[in-house]
Amino acid sequence: MTDPRAPTPNSTDAIVQVRGVRTVLGGKPIFDNIDMDIPRGRITAIMGPSGTGKTTLLRHITGQLMPDAGEIRVDGQNVPALSRDALFALRERIGYLFQNSALLTDFSVFENVAFPLRQHLQLPEELVRNIVLTKLQAVGLRGAADLMPSELSGGMARRVALARAIIRDPTLILYDEPFVGLDPIALNQVLRLIRTLNETLGITSVLVAHEFAAVARIADLGYRIAGGKVVARGTPAELTRGDAPGTKKFFGGEADGPVPFQYPSRDYAADLGFPATAGAA
Amino acid sequence: MNQIRKPPSMIGDALAQIGACGLFLVQIVAAIPKSLRHVVETIRQIWFVGAMSLVIIMTCGLFVGMVLGLQLYYVLSIFGGTAALGTVVSLSLYRELGPVVAALLFAGRAGTSITAEIGLMRATDQLAAMEMMAVDPIAYVAAPRFLAGLVAMPLLACAFNAMGIFGAHLVGVNWLGLDNGTFWSNMTSGVDVWKDVMNGVWKSIAFGGVVALIAVFQGYTTAPTSEGVAYATTRTVVFSSIVVLALDFVMTAFLM
Ligand SMILES: Nc1ncnc2c1ncn2[C@@H]1O[C@H](COP(=O)(O)OP(=O)(O)O)[C@@H](O)[C@H]1O
Ligand SMILES: [Mg+2]
Repeated sequence: MTDPRAPTPNSTDAIVQVRGVRTVLGGKPIFDNIDMDIPRGRITAIMGPSGTGKTTLLRHITGQLMPDAGEIRVDGQNVPALSRDALFALRERIGYLFQNSALLTDFSVFENVAFPLRQHLQLPEELVRNIVLTKLQAVGLRGAADLMPSELSGGMARRVALARAIIRDPTLILYDEPFVGLDPIALNQVLRLIRTLNETLGITSVLVAHEFAAVARIADLGYRIAGGKVVARGTPAELTRGDAPGTKKFFGGEADGPVPFQYPSRDYAADLGFPATAGAA
Repeated sequence: MNQIRKPPSMIGDALAQIGACGLFLVQIVAAIPKSLRHVVETIRQIWFVGAMSLVIIMTCGLFVGMVLGLQLYYVLSIFGGTAALGTVVSLSLYRELGPVVAALLFAGRAGTSITAEIGLMRATDQLAAMEMMAVDPIAYVAAPRFLAGLVAMPLLACAFNAMGIFGAHLVGVNWLGLDNGTFWSNMTSGVDVWKDVMNGVWKSIAFGGVVALIAVFQGYTTAPTSEGVAYATTRTVVFSSIVVLALDFVMTAFLM
């Protein structure tokens, strides 16, 4: 596999720079000194087993949750140090796709997609209508404009949320597990959509996912995090070859290698009430 | 980590909640100028919580008034003063029962639904989604509901009082045979707009604010699970009832 679009490893034009981030949540260390660069105009995938803190990382980048230590620069601004107003100004340029879509249940599909426009810009109704329908057309749901969120399937809700995330043409989009629960057709549509948005509008995309095969088709760069650290970084081709430690175990789906499958726990036999026998199988 | 000994957890938790609720009120008040941009949302909420509670509050007002008519007629008949029924009933309603009972009903009907609605928005990331769209949920969700409580509560208390007086009239005049003219003329001469009616209006504005604040706060800070929403809804009713009754005593003492 050749990667003509592969970024140079030390690309200086990083729209997001994560430096020395440490996070503890509920007494549990989530990040232990993480560094990361998201190159501008590319698709970057962040992979890792569930519960490693992928969502937490996206929440750090968007200032929904502040890390205990470290810097996160988005477009040069250090997110943890921003005032609420500055943070909101920054967020107007960021699209965010929530894991569970997070559509506003009171509003129709149309009004959900129009919401950011109505809140921030005073546009004539006809223009709002045109913009919203264009975005809905892009996700294939122009015909669903009048439905309520409760009438949508999971995949449709995801696409509506995507239309809402791109309504103001952000410079950066963060996708939190956009493929979960999608059938193969819908998955391909979303994949193609993410690539199209990236190629035609030059939107920087950050993709949190664990469907490696799907991600490998569109990502320029991949990070794998586990145990609070970045354990691998490279193009999808490099990650498939397994140049970095831990990569094979994860993508080969082997359990309890360097990537633990088990949540930290007591001895299994002891938990089941068997007498503890040292070294027993 | 934290080496400071904590006070017994129930008292500590209660104090922490009161403190957090107070800070939340400050945030809401600070967001009110911004929420005026969402004035349509505020009007929608006033209509919503008002219309939602109107039927139950009017029904209960009628029954409370009828009971008052019976009970006070009995008491007044001991002193041979049944002609004062209209005055006594309307004073009880304006000064005390209207604001308090309407507020308790409002907590049970509108407060719970505000808490459940906001709690569900929290649990389904809708509040986080607003934050990500650079829309402040305090200004867009919390403040309009708080203002709706302030505006709707006195109106609802008025409806409660009107139905209560109607109920007392029904019992006293139509049923027990008091003179209609005496009933009304004693009432109009015995009730003072500023001392009595406004007394109740101040109370119901305060109660509306308190109930709406508690309801919004409980929803906003709920644990993002279905269990969390259920607990929060219960807490709204319990805390609102306690605070309304306690505040009623304090306000009565000061407004006397
Ligand atoms: N608010 C929180 N309080 C305590 N622990 C949390 C909180 N949010 C997340 N966590 C924990 O942080 C870890 C990472 O969560 P998350 O970022 O959602 O993982 P991922 O998205 O990679 O599956 C999980 O183990 C989770 O239990
Ligand atoms: Mg996640």
